[in-house]
Amino acid sequence: MPVETASRVARTTTGRGGLLARKRHRELLLIWLLLTPALLIFLAYRILPLLWNGVLSFQFWSPTKPAEWAGLFHYEEMFVYDDVFWTSLYNTFLYMLTAPISIGIAVVLALMVNSRIRGRGVYRTIIFLSYPLMVVAVGIIWRWLYDERVGLINYLLRQAGLIDEPIAFLESYGTALPSVIAAAIWQITGFFMIILLTGLQNIPPSLYEAASIDGASRWSQFWRITLPLLRPSIFICFVIAIIASFTSFDLIYVMTGGGPGHATELLITYIYKAAFTLSQFDYAGALTIVMFVLFVGIALLGNLLAGGDAGKVDIAE
Amino acid sequence: MLTRRWMMAAAAALVMTAGALQTQAQEKKLTLLTWNLPIYEETFRGWIADFKEMHPDFEVEWLDKKGTEWAAFYQTQRIAGTAPDIVDIQGMLWAEYAADGGLLDMTPYFDANPEIRERYNEEGLKLWTYEGGIYMLPYYFSKTLLVYNKKLFDEVGLDGPPKDFDQILDYAQKIAESGEGRSGFITLNFDWLYWSLFAMNDIELLNEDMTEAAFNTPEMVEVVTKLAEATKSGAINNISWTGRWVEPNNAFATGDIGMYQGHGAALFWIMGQADWANGDTLGVVEWPGGYGVPNAHGLGISSSTQYPDEAFDFVQIAMNEKWQTKMADTFTILTLHEAVDEALIAKTEDPLKKATLETSLANMDKAVATWVTPLDAKIKEAFWPDIQAALLGQKDPAEAVADAESKVNRVLRRAR
Repeated sequence: MPVETASRVARTTTGRGGLLARKRHRELLLIWLLLTPALLIFLAYRILPLLWNGVLSFQFWSPTKPAEWAGLFHYEEMFVYDDVFWTSLYNTFLYMLTAPISIGIAVVLALMVNSRIRGRGVYRTIIFLSYPLMVVAVGIIWRWLYDERVGLINYLLRQAGLIDEPIAFLESYGTALPSVIAAAIWQITGFFMIILLTGLQNIPPSLYEAASIDGASRWSQFWRITLPLLRPSIFICFVIAIIASFTSFDLIYVMTGGGPGHATELLITYIYKAAFTLSQFDYAGALTIVMFVLFVGIALLGNLLAGGDAGKVDIAE
Repeated sequence: MLTRRWMMAAAAALVMTAGALQTQAQEKKLTLLTWNLPIYEETFRGWIADFKEMHPDFEVEWLDKKGTEWAAFYQTQRIAGTAPDIVDIQGMLWAEYAADGGLLDMTPYFDANPEIRERYNEEGLKLWTYEGGIYMLPYYFSKTLLVYNKKLFDEVGLDGPPKDFDQILDYAQKIAESGEGRSGFITLNFDWLYWSLFAMNDIELLNEDMTEAAFNTPEMVEVVTKLAEATKSGAINNISWTGRWVEPNNAFATGDIGMYQGHGAALFWIMGQADWANGDTLGVVEWPGGYGVPNAHGLGISSSTQYPDEAFDFVQIAMNEKWQTKMADTFTILTLHEAVDEALIAKTEDPLKKATLETSLANMDKAVATWVTPLDAKIKEAFWPDIQAALLGQKDPAEAVADAESKVNRVLRRAR
């Protein structure tokens, strides 16, 4: 190729490359511009408070007094002396049982309303209805359902001859937490059912037809086709349920206030109490940091279980 | 041309200055935070109107928060440096704010206006005195009493209210055994309202200088054991230890419970819920020994206020005879303003309400659970869960008392 021609080609290529680079640069600029408001809100309402909690957790701090360095005092208090911290941590892990139970029920319900039954649209709506309800309303409804004297559940159990004496569901140490968990499951299952239903409807019917021709039983089809292909939807439900169990403040607050004793205390309700009832903002800061670390740990574990790339975004070239 | 430009600039500067001055004038503002009284808005507007007659250049903003939201709201406002100027505070929560400098010591105002101090019940004022300073003006007040169901008492052959602790348990047992679904006794339990049960057995929560727990005694273990046994047998309704406000009141309103320990305001609420509850069916007496736990609200001033004198003027107007009479008449409630309370008792015709008001003011020197300490909430949180577990039969009483003692002492040591 003559030298002149080669240099022209090179110039053209460089020109095109520059154009592409400029276009890409503009696109990136636009992306950041669009992201900025959301990132600023995230920074102001998430990152800065979290950092501030971190600072507080190493200080003796109260609203009207100058802060003093506390070192690891609050962490020592928490891990060594504070029974309530351990109780609330244990309860938070127990409360996470909401995740597998509600997902299990949601899978069954989704399979049922996905089958060709009469009025399935109505069933779907009824099952989903609990989700848009305000959590406070759910708490009040369930408090009355569980009521020892006038509650529907005790009434039905007595009518059925299953119990002689009414059960103090929310007042007893043994039943309070399971009762709140049941209410939480009731509320979230409808939402999970919708997610799973969408997952089910995305499974190509041809897979089932092929499996039937090959002689696979319904059970085998469920294990080998439905469940594996529902995995992404189940994972989404699982993540939502775990987040909900860490942040489920309203339901506990309305139904039991963390009691009796601390039988239904979760980390989140304990943090609130430490800050706003006991005015120990510094200690509440330390509790928040521990909860955050746990939360990150669980998210990483979840990501690992999901193959290590949950939340990955592919940007097309 | 230059002159015109200068004139325009001067006019603009004038407008801006006027605007700034106006803004500054509008910034003269007080904020009033009340505790769960949205139905009393008309009166709050009346307070504000009266205040504006005295200070026409001030604006007053009124905010109301439910009891469950109040502390969180006030705390966050304090941290933000925008605490409401005038605050209605329940119970002993004020002591914490007073101790950390969040509330204004009103003593200089009381000293400058001795007639204000003279309005009030002297024992009552002690409820808002911390290290010699008075931090709140009494707003409304009630005290725990013993209410008994005359019909159930008659049915089991009891001729009057119990005279001591053992009799309370004995009567409660008899009533519980007299019919299905009945229990003998119920109490409110928030804010130390149950403490008369311990006070009547000579149990002290803290030592005299409030540096150590003093309740881990054989007597305390015995009392907790007896209460737990009575709860287990059904003589004491277990909602006593688990319910908050609505639940025990609703339970007593059913008419199946023999005795109730609660304050006057709660009793009047029950009377509003249950047609049967009146002077013929219920009796109200002092707790044996004259003990009672006050449940009081006061009006204080945040120390962050820019206008302490005007804020005090506001508090004084709000708590004057005119408005406190309106408060007393509207809710049939005591105010510790002696003239207002006397007038209220004189004009109350309902015998049960009259007896409740009179009894609430008796033996003010025997008001218990009035530890004026900034650690009140923390001590309560350290004390109650273990004792509650023992009362509900979940923990050995001696172990529960010892655990509670160690936790209370830890709170006290940390504060030192």
